[in-house]
Amino acid sequence: MNETTPTREDGDVDQTMRREPFVFTGTAREYFGIWLVNVFLTILTLGIYSAWAKVRRMRFFHGSTWLGDASFEYHARPGQILLGRIIALALIATYNLALYFAPGFSIVLAIGFFLALPYLVMRGLRFRARVTSYRNVRFDFEGGYWGALLAYVAGGVLTWGTLGVLAPVASRWIWSYTLGNLTYGGRPIDCDPRLEKLFGQWWLPAILFGGGILLFLIGSVALGYLYGSELADIVGGGGGVGTLTAGVLALIYVGFLPLIVLYVIVGLLYHAGSRNAAVSETVIDGRHALASTLGRWRYVWISITNLIATVFTLGLLRPWAAVRMARYLAICTAVDTVGALDSYIDTITDEGAAVGAEYMDVEGLDFGF
Amino acid sequence: MAFEPAVTGTWHAARSGRDIAAELFVFDEDTAAVRDTQTGAILARGTRSSLVVSRRVGSVPRRIGFPDDSVFVSRDNDGVDRLLADTIGHGSRWLVEIERFRPRLIVLVAAVALLAVGVYRFAVPLLVEAAVLATPEIVPELMSKGVLASLDETAFSQSMLSEQRRAGIATGFHELAALAPRGAARFDLQFRSGGSIGPNAFALPDGTIVITDELIELAGSDDDLVLGVLGHEIGHVEHDHSLRQLYRAAGVVGLIMVIGGDVGSGVQDLLVQGSALLALSYSRRQERDADRYSVEIMARAGRDPAAIARFFELMRTRFGDTGDSAILTTHPATGERIEETRRYAAEIAQNGPAVPSD
Repeated sequence: MNETTPTREDGDVDQTMRREPFVFTGTAREYFGIWLVNVFLTILTLGIYSAWAKVRRMRFFHGSTWLGDASFEYHARPGQILLGRIIALALIATYNLALYFAPGFSIVLAIGFFLALPYLVMRGLRFRARVTSYRNVRFDFEGGYWGALLAYVAGGVLTWGTLGVLAPVASRWIWSYTLGNLTYGGRPIDCDPRLEKLFGQWWLPAILFGGGILLFLIGSVALGYLYGSELADIVGGGGGVGTLTAGVLALIYVGFLPLIVLYVIVGLLYHAGSRNAAVSETVIDGRHALASTLGRWRYVWISITNLIATVFTLGLLRPWAAVRMARYLAICTAVDTVGALDSYIDTITDEGAAVGAEYMDVEGLDFGF
Repeated sequence: MAFEPAVTGTWHAARSGRDIAAELFVFDEDTAAVRDTQTGAILARGTRSSLVVSRRVGSVPRRIGFPDDSVFVSRDNDGVDRLLADTIGHGSRWLVEIERFRPRLIVLVAAVALLAVGVYRFAVPLLVEAAVLATPEIVPELMSKGVLASLDETAFSQSMLSEQRRAGIATGFHELAALAPRGAARFDLQFRSGGSIGPNAFALPDGTIVITDELIELAGSDDDLVLGVLGHEIGHVEHDHSLRQLYRAAGVVGLIMVIGGDVGSGVQDLLVQGSALLALSYSRRQERDADRYSVEIMARAGRDPAAIARFFELMRTRFGDTGDSAILTTHPATGERIEETRRYAAEIAQNGPAVPSD
């Protein structure tokens, strides 16, 4: 009916601004059973059940996330997910086999992969948006191929090429692509995070990481000078290595793990900061403004203790960890609403295929809206 | 009128976001309907079999779709279950019942642990065997051509050995290959100058075996030494080691990928790294198998079964490889290999040539 001119329903006169926080009502108790049955059946069926498991998991997390007096809903069907997973795994397998069979064409294959990636990301984001609804009205995603190419391929090259110095530029592309192309009930969602805000979230992790690398280098040189000859015997395996090399080698043995931990921490710090910056610049339908107030260190703390708890309980605390994170992300997100949130009309007629979404899923690409 | 107490919730007209406080009730034997809580007006109705009731997941609100595309949403899961008992499949109820947080879930935890070990120990190897059997011959051929072509391009050059030396080794090689179950015709010995790769020999899955000049020169005039190494490579081919390794890695990583959403990305990364470590132990086991194969086939060919041990000793004196069988290596420690192959060679010398184990 209203396909071409999506509208709000009439009678929308309330213009006062209210802060409406997101609330996550799911509990670890509740999720534990769902999770355990999911894992059990997934292993039992050698992965086939994972499509049904995903639907149950996503329905739990969407359905437990409330805004005002309504929760989000997840509508994907297991059949769609299964087909998407089969195609995605076949694509990954074919790509890897092709690399193996025809190593001479590896450059061609890599280029092909980087040209296909934006398409998969675009389709994936679209599917995810279209199977998500709030108050019976679905989201949609209108981003195109070139936006994804800029955000993910060019953004990646820019970030790695400048060793992270220009990461905020890439973040800006990514956030405005993923959030800014969403629509709700046919109405646009705008996201245009300012560069200076993203750089404001960037310098702390950057200094920490730079400082860590510097310490690492100074430490290895110092070790080399002080204990080089003793270390040479231990790390060199009897071969003749110089004292400085021995210092570097010793520090690589000792310092590798701390460096990885540091890398993870600064990554999490920056992720939380850029989420705050981007989500706080997001406006739904030109009037409902989103706000994100994650504590960066708190976010790092939760992520790392979650991982430790999960690993040391051989996975048994994973449901608790997942619920804890969902709860924290929800509390720290709110919408400043102007007028009612229930005056939108659904305009989605077709969900599209799940291939892209499942590709992002199995490859571990996650953009966490 | 109603047979059961009504369930309260919210009703949405088709495609509308507008909330209307409403009640779901059973109209008669097989019709359910929604009425406006305030006005009592009937908003939607449908036969019970025409309703689309979402499956219960935890305490997530239920969604009941009516034939006119309007939707009733309620947090009263028990009420919905009671009212529409016939419409909801037994499968999903059974699932919800198991998922409840009860002490009995411990049994399921134990089952998951056993199952995970079982899949890794038994189902994955079984699937690998099936995949190896189902692989058409063209696959290993393509794989081998690709690998050799790229090595020829990057590192190898033509062999500089004398025609006579090569012919001598090739004759010995064909005698050995003739003893392998798949027969000499399925093997192909290639000589190359190793360049940056140095003294080395390796087997490609289609039966092509490549040996570098550097390795042959290292052996001096001792042909048995070279043949011992080639026997090891024949073992790799005969046991389809590269295919097995490839399928195994793909299967394990695929399983980790599909379970990734349930364990979280951090744990998923750890699992992938962990499986890579386990793959290395698998690779060391394959090397030991191939070592034993060399001892067996050399004995059957009437050559020195301990030749491969002598080769390892030569490598050790030349390159000073004294490391332990660390978990980060693809090959077992040299000392261990020498000991084991010598022991096995002595055992075979005592009991007469054995039939190659398969």
